[in-house]
Amino acid sequence: MKLRRPLAVALSTGLLLLAGCAGDDLAEDDNNNSDDSSSTGGAVTLGSQAFDEAALVTAMYAALLEDTGYDVETKLVETRPAYLNELPGEIDIAPEYLAGLGDQLNTDANGEDAAPISTSDTQETLDAMAPLLEEKGITVLEPSEANSQNAYFVTQEFSDSEGVTALSDLEGQSVTLAAAPDCKGRDDCEKGLTEVYGIDITLEPLGYASPETFQAVLEGEAQLGQTSTFDGTLEEQGLLLLEDDRGIQPAQNLIPAVSTEFLGEHPDVGDTLNGLMEVLTNDLLAEALVKVQIDREPVEDVAQQFLEDQGLL
Amino acid sequence: MNLFAETWRYLLDGSNWTENGGFLSRLVEQLLVSFTALGLAMAIGLPIALWLGHLGRGGFLAINISNVGRAVPTFALLALLVTLDWPGSGYFGPYGRAGLATLIALGLFALPPLITNAYVAVREVPLEIRQAADGMGMSGAQKFWRVELPLSMPLVMSGVRLALVQVWATSTIAALVAGPGVGRIITEGFATNTYSQGMAGAVVVAAVALVLELLAAVAQRLVDPVPRARAGSSPNREEQLSEPRPKVAEAADTVGR
Repeated sequence: MKLRRPLAVALSTGLLLLAGCAGDDLAEDDNNNSDDSSSTGGAVTLGSQAFDEAALVTAMYAALLEDTGYDVETKLVETRPAYLNELPGEIDIAPEYLAGLGDQLNTDANGEDAAPISTSDTQETLDAMAPLLEEKGITVLEPSEANSQNAYFVTQEFSDSEGVTALSDLEGQSVTLAAAPDCKGRDDCEKGLTEVYGIDITLEPLGYASPETFQAVLEGEAQLGQTSTFDGTLEEQGLLLLEDDRGIQPAQNLIPAVSTEFLGEHPDVGDTLNGLMEVLTNDLLAEALVKVQIDREPVEDVAQQFLEDQGLL
Repeated sequence: MNLFAETWRYLLDGSNWTENGGFLSRLVEQLLVSFTALGLAMAIGLPIALWLGHLGRGGFLAINISNVGRAVPTFALLALLVTLDWPGSGYFGPYGRAGLATLIALGLFALPPLITNAYVAVREVPLEIRQAADGMGMSGAQKFWRVELPLSMPLVMSGVRLALVQVWATSTIAALVAGPGVGRIITEGFATNTYSQGMAGAVVVAAVALVLELLAAVAQRLVDPVPRARAGSSPNREEQLSEPRPKVAEAADTVGR
């Protein structure tokens, strides 16, 4: 198992780097990939996290790569370090989030207490993490417009009657916020809302996008609720997201992280995945996620349908 | 990093006590909730249990019905109550968010020790004393108010004391539905990985529980009509109730001097 990817790489590039190690595996891989597929094919391993949103985007990567002749293996785990430590290595491509990747690389390199390098600006964050990426042997492709952040919602009525469309419109007001229990003291939650936006926050720890949080806002007990920018259930509930116009959320654009070595050997992967990044938006992903989370459709089916609808398959 | 040192530092920081949602405001909430729940349970449970004890029947049923309260997890009940339209999770005056649901859940939780102790307390009044009261021509009400109730007060109070400490410590679970009380400080500590804060909350709850236990013990002593009877290892009520006679040795001393 451990040798499969290096062997595939060795085969497709014609360099029998590890040929002495396992002749049997070599023959197997040979049958699987090299004969049938074009010169762009081969084995590729995707690593990402197991929650619905990441699993859906990973399924999109997998479907696209399979379509271009790759033999795709997907490994979904609970936490980022579990696959990031194997990239490059066991893992060739990770469907990533910009700030999540950058901050993880930063703490890996500079210790647990290192200050986050991410900001709310996509380009700034990219620039800040560039040396860390190079050191690690990872190349990131084009960031998508789709940006998976924490976000805060109000009811449509509240927005209309108070004239609130952005978080800064709440400056100086006393607001009850229904959010995750770890919200207090966080720069992207209670602390940021208090210090950057000047909102007087009363926190109710009802959970991140939980039924209790929605209920509290809909019943008027809380004015503000916490959810994700990919939440496709808001509109039908008469809720809307407020703009983070002072940027307390780090830029969590979807972005492919690819092993630099793998990308050098398979430059076509870059074009394939950049094509997907170009298409993805918050709204489209929110819509697709509703099918996964509310309708309980398998992520593979939703990904396939999405790519067909977008003309990518 | 030493957790206990961190906890101590957290407790010594005055702002953790005075800030909005700090120890002081949460303690007031929790004391209000605990005492109100206990008061409600006493108002409902004690008259029924004492009356049944006086009649000498129906107690088995009452005790077992109230014991269902022990079998149903208070948290499950609380979680159910906040999802219902009534009482729901709304603010209830000074009791805070989900205050009414918390009061109901804790009140039911307080019933079993109150009812069991009060019923048994009246039943345990010695038969000869009841017979003596009957013999003196007391009516049922007179017998209850002047004989049975005073003699059963210590055991009734021990039920109240038990219920108070149980309700106080259990009321921290209100935090799990974002309700009132010091539990909020504990859950917030664990949610934000500030273990010292969670520990500090637990220490405060435990300390107040001890204080309440002591105060209840004092109250229990005050309502005891024959306090010294309970001090000796084999109480002999008649002797201790009457004026102590000088003992032979003391008398001899006096004479010898």
